[in-house]
Amino acid sequence: MTDCRRTVERLAPWADESLPPAERVEVDRHLAACPPCRNVADRERAGHRILRACADRLRAEPLPPGLRTRCEAIARAQQSSRPAWLRTLAPVAIIAILLVFTASTLFSLATRRSDALLAAQLTADHVKCFTAFDSPNTADAHATEQRLANAYGWNVRVPPSSSEAGVQLVGARRCLYADGSIPHVMYHVNGEQVSLFMLEGVTRPPAEVVTLGHRSQIWSNGGTTYVLVSSASASNTAAIANYMKYVMQDAH
Amino acid sequence: MLRRSKPSDPEAFRAEVLTFLEPLYGTAMRLTRNRADAEDLVQDTLVKAFRFSDRFTPGTNLRAWLYTILHNTWRNRRRDAARGPVEVDSELVDEAATGPGGLEAGETPERILIRATLDADLQAALDALPEAFRQAVWLRDVEEFSYAEIAAMLDVPIGTVMSRISRGRRLLFERLSPARGAAPLHAGSGR
Repeated sequence: MTDCRRTVERLAPWADESLPPAERVEVDRHLAACPPCRNVADRERAGHRILRACADRLRAEPLPPGLRTRCEAIARAQQSSRPAWLRTLAPVAIIAILLVFTASTLFSLATRRSDALLAAQLTADHVKCFTAFDSPNTADAHATEQRLANAYGWNVRVPPSSSEAGVQLVGARRCLYADGSIPHVMYHVNGEQVSLFMLEGVTRPPAEVVTLGHRSQIWSNGGTTYVLVSSASASNTAAIANYMKYVMQDAH
Repeated sequence: MLRRSKPSDPEAFRAEVLTFLEPLYGTAMRLTRNRADAEDLVQDTLVKAFRFSDRFTPGTNLRAWLYTILHNTWRNRRRDAARGPVEVDSELVDEAATGPGGLEAGETPERILIRATLDADLQAALDALPEAFRQAVWLRDVEEFSYAEIAAMLDVPIGTVMSRISRGRRLLFERLSPARGAAPLHAGSGR
């Protein structure tokens, strides 16, 4: 009886042939001598074999339309390491963005003076562009510079990707700012979305601003003001800004 | 230069997770038995996987990790719905343990297999199994996880996993066999 019990307990690995050989011999010996256990074992093995034979067909459940697209959107939205409170704040941020945009057309003169408004407006742009145009693919810096030159006549230096710094260039766009348009270069840095905006012909004192849950580093060089917007921590944002400054040293 | 708090390559992680979409959905379908719940379950699983991506140890089995999240999510949802976490029909368990005899004369596992493959019987028989058996059998025989992996996913001892798999396989076989419901045959092994 204890033999029957011990045998039945080991039938699962016996049936799918994952039982160690020594134990297998024991189970086989018992089954040969015990028809009731043999019966149970045969039924179990038949169930197992049917499933194995049909496993591919069973697994081939077609994905419902739209599920892949939704899951890819989840991947893009969730990959960012922003904390949960910030994600739930996103809709609020977008409303704030619209308000800031409306205000900015009225106060474009003020915009030039205020670091906070500049940061808020560019952060809005950062969120909007990454929501609509984020890409997992690495872009070539030189090709991006060429494209900006051909499309918009901008002669700008685009900081390239760097695996050492964990910086990945993913794209560049034209963004409307105040009463003109400016280059907006998009990066992924260790899972964070990072934007670099360039305001040519503008010089401002360096500043760091936290607004709408993002950190903006503002600096000027060679008659251009750069604004780096990121959701990374203060030290990481500073490190990313340092990288950008470092690679653009010879840009002027 | 910059500190990394996420998997070393978030893009690769994201892409790799998405390659498991089909099997995750197939498993979710067998768990929930309806499309809307299966879609929700897969999406919840991905949300958690990306949110807690830093808890995944690179180099370990990503597929097993995702299945664990899927099963945890399902368990929590079942618990939230104020239903028992595991539904085991004791009558079915007894039936599976003792069973209505062996194979009918002339009936071979191969013949049952062919029939099951040709129609939707197998899918239906699987869906009709008690949930605890269905999960365990599916993970072992269809998804080919190890007993230890399944025990971790379902959060039950390995002995329980084995017994659920055994019973699930036998029940499935009963349901596919034409001897089902007939008087038990005591014809031994059927070989």
